[in-house]
Amino acid sequence: MKVAVIGWELPPAFSGGLGIHTFNLFGEMSKLIDIDVYIPRIGPLYDHYPFNVRTVELGVGVRNGAYESLTYDFYEAINRYNRAFEETNTVNGASIVHCHDWITFQAGIELKERFNIPLVVTVHSTETDRSGGFYPQKWIMDIEREGMKEADRVIAVSHYTKKIIIDTYGIRPDKISVIHNGVGKHFLELPSRDYYPTGKVLYFGRITTQKGPAFFIESASKVIDLLPKVKFVIAGTGELLNRMKEAAKSALPRGSYEFTGFIDLNKAITLYRNSDVFVLPAVSEPFGITVLEAMSSGTPTIISRTTGVGESLKNVLKAEFWDTDLIAEYIAGTVRYGGLRATLGSNGMSEAKQFTWKRAAEETLKVYRMV
Amino acid sequence: MEKGCRGDFEGVQNGMKAIVLFFEVHQPRRLRVYRMKEIGHSRNYFWDERNSEILQRISRRCYVPTLATFIENEIKASVSVSGTFMEQAQEYAPESIDSFKSYFRSGLSEVVAETYYHSLASVWNEQEFIEQVEQQVNTLKKEFGVEPKSFRNTELIYSDDIAGIVRSMGFKRMLAEGTDSIIKGNSPNHVYNSTSGTALFLRNYRLSDDISFRFSNWNWSEYPLTADKYAKWINDTPGDVANLFMDFETFGEHQVAETGIFEFIRALPHEFKRRGIDMLTLEEADKRFERRSTVSVPEITSWADTRRDLSPWLGNDMQREAFNELIKTDKKNQIWRNLQTSDHLYYMSTGTSQDITVHEYFNPFKSPYYAFLSFMNVLQDLMRQ
Repeated sequence: MKVAVIGWELPPAFSGGLGIHTFNLFGEMSKLIDIDVYIPRIGPLYDHYPFNVRTVELGVGVRNGAYESLTYDFYEAINRYNRAFEETNTVNGASIVHCHDWITFQAGIELKERFNIPLVVTVHSTETDRSGGFYPQKWIMDIEREGMKEADRVIAVSHYTKKIIIDTYGIRPDKISVIHNGVGKHFLELPSRDYYPTGKVLYFGRITTQKGPAFFIESASKVIDLLPKVKFVIAGTGELLNRMKEAAKSALPRGSYEFTGFIDLNKAITLYRNSDVFVLPAVSEPFGITVLEAMSSGTPTIISRTTGVGESLKNVLKAEFWDTDLIAEYIAGTVRYGGLRATLGSNGMSEAKQFTWKRAAEETLKVYRMV
Repeated sequence: MEKGCRGDFEGVQNGMKAIVLFFEVHQPRRLRVYRMKEIGHSRNYFWDERNSEILQRISRRCYVPTLATFIENEIKASVSVSGTFMEQAQEYAPESIDSFKSYFRSGLSEVVAETYYHSLASVWNEQEFIEQVEQQVNTLKKEFGVEPKSFRNTELIYSDDIAGIVRSMGFKRMLAEGTDSIIKGNSPNHVYNSTSGTALFLRNYRLSDDISFRFSNWNWSEYPLTADKYAKWINDTPGDVANLFMDFETFGEHQVAETGIFEFIRALPHEFKRRGIDMLTLEEADKRFERRSTVSVPEITSWADTRRDLSPWLGNDMQREAFNELIKTDKKNQIWRNLQTSDHLYYMSTGTSQDITVHEYFNPFKSPYYAFLSFMNVLQDLMRQ
C-alpha cells in the first residue's frame, strides 16, 4: 500500500501543529506502508525524512505561510498549491490520497477523481473552531464541507470534532473515525518532576479567540482575590496579544503577570515543569496537544470542556470556558494544596503518555483498510 | 489463592454445615461542593439534599424490602449500623430504622459494634477510637436496647494492635478479611483466636464476592448464580463455617431487584436446610466451634480494593495531605468527626484501574480531585473556628 499525503508544512519550518502532526504521524506510518508527503516549496527542509517528500513549486514567494497565520499571501499560496495538482499526471503509484484540513481538500478531490483512488481526509480543526464561533468564513466552510462529502472516510481528531462535523457540516456519522493525536517523543521521555510550590500559573498557546486567553485573565483576577501572591505567565503570540496585554494591565496587579512572547519547544518544557498548573480555557479546541504536553511534563492541567482531548482524560480538571469562578477555584486549589499537585500531576503524566503516535498510526492504517 | 476457599469438587466428607452472614450498614454524611471563596463565610458543609435523596432511595430499594425478606424467610445475620447512617435514617427515612428495630427484635440477628463515624480513628489515635466506639455502643443500647459483644472495624480494618484495643474494651469477637497471605496457612472457614484472645472470623472473600460483586455479572462463568448452586458450593467446601461478609446495600442497591437478588435470598434457607447447613450469628458460631489456632496479623489489613490494606484511603498524596490536615484540625466536635468518616478519603482514591470503577461508583463528586478540593476547603474553614 502506498499513500499520497497532501501536506502543507513540515519541520523545521514553522511551529504549527499541522507540520508536527504530519511529521510524527507519517514518520510512524512509514514503518508500516509507503508514504509520499507532498508539500509546497516554501520553507527550509531537513536533508532526510522518514518518508518520501515531494515538493511542489508555487512560483510565488510567501512571507508567512504557517497554517495558523492566515495572510493574503497564504490564501494565494493555497490556491496555487491546489491548482498545481490539476497538472499532475501521476500519483507515483499511490492507491489512497490523504488530505489534512481544508487547505488541501481541493487537491485531494482532484486526485481522487482523476486517478480514481479513494480519498481520506483528516479534520484537525474546522472554521467553526478557528473563528471561536465569531464570523466563520463561508467560503472556507464550503471547501471543508465539499472535502468531507467527497471523502470516502473522514478522520476527526476527537469525538468533540466528530460532533461538529456531523452537526455543522452534515456529514454521515458512519464514515467518520476518531483518532486522537499522539504526544511528541521529547515529552514521552521526560522524567517525573517535583511539586514544590512555584506559585506560577501558565497559559501557553496562540493568543487567539479560539484558545480563550481572555478567560484566563478573568480567572487570574479571581485567583488573586483568594491568593494574592500567585504569578501568571502568558506564553505565546497571536493576534490578540496586544489586547490581552491591555486586559491584564487593567485586571491584574502590576508584577503579578508576565507575557513571554514566542516560546520554542525547550523553553516550553521548562515553563511547563516550573509551573504549578497549566490552564487551557479554549472556546473550541478540536484536540489540544498542549494539554498532553503539559500533562506528560507532569504538570497539573485545567481545561475547558470544549477541548477535544479532554473527552478521554480523567486526570485533568474540567470547567466550561466561561466559568471563570470554577477555573479560579481549580487554579487556587492546585496552587494551595501540594497533595493535589502531586497526585494530579503524576497521574496525569502516566495518562498522557498513553497517547503515542504509534497507536495513532496503527489506527490510521485501519482506516486505510476500510476504503 | 484457591486454597481453603470454594471447593469445586464433589463428595467432601467434612463440608461446611454452617454459615455466618454479616452485613455492614453505613451511609456517610456526604459533603457538598464547597469552594475556597466560601472559607470564612459559610458553615454549610454537608450536601443535605443529596444525602436525603440517597437515604430515601436506598431505604425504599434496599433496607425496607431486604429486612422484610429476612424476617419472612427467617434469615439469620449479624449486622452493624454506623452512627452516621442512623442519624441520617432518622432524619430522612425513619421507616428504615423501624425495619431494623423489627429485625433486631426478631431473634434472628446479632448487632455488631464499630466506630460511630465509620472512621479511621483506629489507625491514628487510640483515645479517639475508643470514644467513637463508646458513642456507637451507647447509641445502639439506646436505639435498639442491645449490648454488642462482637466488633467489626471500619471496612474490616484490622491488625493485632487494633484487636488488642478492642479486647480491652470488653469485646469477645472480631471480624477481619481473609486476605491471601492470612489464608495461606489458615483456611477462612474456621473460627480462630486473635492475638488478644478474642474470637476471630476471617471473611471468605471468594464466596462473599460471588454474591456482592459477581451475582449479576453476565460474563462470569457461573452466571446465573442460583441458591441451589451456592448452597452446594458451601456444602462441598471443607471447614466449619463460611464467613460471608458484605455491604448490606448489596441487596436491592448494588444488585438491584431486577437481577433476581431477592429471589436468590428467599430460596437460600430452603437450600441450606436440605443440606443441613445452619445460619448462625457470630455469637452462636463462636459457641459452636472450637477455635482452630491463634492468627497473628501484624500489618493492617482491610477488605477494600485489590491490595486489602489502607491504600484505598491513604494511597495517594492528596489523601495523605487531607488525612494529616484532618488530624491537625482536632476539633473534637461532631462536624470534625463527621469529616473523619472514611468515605471522604475513599472518594479521593486514584488507585488501580480495576479498583477505580468501584470508587467512582460511590463518589458523589465523580472525580477524586473534586472530592479533595471540597474536603480541604471545608477543613480550612473548620480550622478557623
